[in-house]
Amino acid sequence: MIDFSRVQKELVECGKDVEGSGIKLNIKGDSLARLIGSIPGPIGTPYEGGIFKIDITIPDGYPFEPPKMQFTTKVWHPNISSQSGAICLDILKDQWSPALTLKTALLSVQALLSSPEPDDPQDAVVAQQYLKDYQTFVGTARYWTETFAKASSLGIEDKVKKLAEMGFPEAQARSALDAVGGDENLALERLCS
Amino acid sequence: MGDDNWCSDDECNYYYDQNCDEVFEVDDGAGIDSVMAGYKRPTTQVISRESLVAAQKQDLRRVMEMLSLREHHARTLLIHHRWDVQNLFAVYVEKGKVALFADAGVTVYTNSELSSSLQSLSLQSSSSVFCEICIENIPSHQVTRMECGHYFCNQCWTSHFIVQINEGKSKRILCMAHKCNAICDENIVRDLVRKKHAETVEKFDRFLLESYIEDNRRAKWCPSVPHCGNAIRVEEEVCEVECCCGLQFCFKCLSEIHSPCSCQMFELWANKCRDESESVNWITAHTKPCPKCHKPVEKSGGCNLVSCICRQSFCWICGEATGRDHTWTAITGHSCGRYQPREKLAELAKKNLYRYMHYHNRYKAHMDSLNLEGKLKETMQQKVSLSEKKHDSSIRDYSWVNNGLSRLFRSRRVLCYTYPFAYYMFGGEFFNDDTIPKKERERKQNLFEDQQQQLEANIERLSMFLEEPFDEFKDDKVIKIREKVLNLSAVVDSLCSKMYEVIENDLLVSQTIAPYKSKGIEKASLLNS
Repeated sequence: MIDFSRVQKELVECGKDVEGSGIKLNIKGDSLARLIGSIPGPIGTPYEGGIFKIDITIPDGYPFEPPKMQFTTKVWHPNISSQSGAICLDILKDQWSPALTLKTALLSVQALLSSPEPDDPQDAVVAQQYLKDYQTFVGTARYWTETFAKASSLGIEDKVKKLAEMGFPEAQARSALDAVGGDENLALERLCS
Repeated sequence: MGDDNWCSDDECNYYYDQNCDEVFEVDDGAGIDSVMAGYKRPTTQVISRESLVAAQKQDLRRVMEMLSLREHHARTLLIHHRWDVQNLFAVYVEKGKVALFADAGVTVYTNSELSSSLQSLSLQSSSSVFCEICIENIPSHQVTRMECGHYFCNQCWTSHFIVQINEGKSKRILCMAHKCNAICDENIVRDLVRKKHAETVEKFDRFLLESYIEDNRRAKWCPSVPHCGNAIRVEEEVCEVECCCGLQFCFKCLSEIHSPCSCQMFELWANKCRDESESVNWITAHTKPCPKCHKPVEKSGGCNLVSCICRQSFCWICGEATGRDHTWTAITGHSCGRYQPREKLAELAKKNLYRYMHYHNRYKAHMDSLNLEGKLKETMQQKVSLSEKKHDSSIRDYSWVNNGLSRLFRSRRVLCYTYPFAYYMFGGEFFNDDTIPKKERERKQNLFEDQQQQLEANIERLSMFLEEPFDEFKDDKVIKIREKVLNLSAVVDSLCSKMYEVIENDLLVSQTIAPYKSKGIEKASLLNS
């Protein structure tokens, strides 16, 4: 049995400080067991300016068991899987304490974005790049932030225009963007296939 | 004439052994300062389900007395130190009490600290207390403060405990506060969980109890299948023991007893024998090609000189053609105990195969003899009872038959495992020690093989005399056989002991083997509950 009263209180508590922390918690469906968290990319990192969405599942034993968290926004980071969005963070596993909250957990995830730990990687490819070719890593991470974490900030009209400039008919570009949820690259792929 | 002589010799053996035990105990006691002095217990003990509590209490008490602690604190410390009391005391001496406690997550208040912390809680007791976990104000009588000072409501504590116990973390339930390293007081855990879920308390207690076996270097479950329910506790980890269920095993690696072969070598050997069982094993173990007509020949019984139907005689051990002149122990002009590399075989693989076959054949031959132990014992019993019924005989005591037989089995087992040992020790494949010059290594190998051959020859002679149909003999002949058996038993025993010495002192550098026990594998004594 999930202790929904605590989740409810946490939602209220978190809602009070959206301005200060930038961290948002929203209910995903009609149950408190599934939530969507969003965190702003930390300033001074390749993630700056992006908004990262995290899928949260509250287990039955919450808060005595850690919540399950996974990025739904694609991120290029040594401790986050570039494929699945799975997060490698100790407090989400054995270092979880019932005294922690969803908000503090999200803050820790945000802190992880600022200080990667390539020695304990979730994504070996990214970790290798981080260690061996830091400049390329920063470039890729920034590119992914631009492409995936800012998709909504760049207006649909701009993207339609961009695709039209490449030579696709405007109507087709618009419907392709619609079909993939506004992702420019995926729309381009769709138009080319 | 021989009677008294041999009896005294036998006593001599036992005396020697008692000596051994004494040395061992003194060694044990001299371990660590005054605390350990005078502390003695039998070397190996069987811990049954019933006596597990008592066994754990023995160690708990030592720590409680030494550090004047309560039982649950002692338990937390010991679980952290994997029930190694000496290691715990060593850390105490080296780092002091504060570090010892902090590392293990134990918080012990002095009296004044305790009263002040109680006061601070009672100050709040007038109203309600805020529980950070459920984010509620809770009446203070429903709040529990752990020894580390953190307090939360009983309901949250209980849920936390149940989740931790069900996740198998009973032995290390941490306080709920973030980054607090303190282990929760087991009495509080018990009291709170019992109110909600009594079965979970049983689980918790079982984990704490079994930690004594699971986390203890010196205690292990008996590897019997189906499990007899017992565990064995030893003082010295490298040893071979017999559980009261009758299973004999190597305490260190939990496989069958295998000394003087080391655990590492035996594991390699057992895997190798398993891997090659399909091809090499069958061919080498069941048949031998006749050196003349090359037909596979199976040995049906008798000594090691085998004759093929083509009338060619050959040595069963090495398969080489020999003459027909032979005795029980040797074939005239033939010696094959030493391994001789076959230079003609250029391919290394083939060479290795032959090498393996050489050692495997000998290992297998003695193992087969050992497996017939039961049958041989039976026939010997028959012979003994027949002899005892003889009216024309004055001999009444036939204990020498059984003693000789036990000696035969024990030493044959030793001999058997010297072959896998030699295979790895002198192979160069593993255990290649470049620091020792080749000459020196050859000298060591020769010394070892001399010992091995002597042992083998004497064991075969002992076997020969024991298999004599003494029940059909006259008294004077029986006395002679008895004399031989007693004599050879003593010789074989000392050769076995020498063999262990050579292996331990001269050959093995980084590995240890279970000590030689003249009286056979030590039977663990039952620990009283």
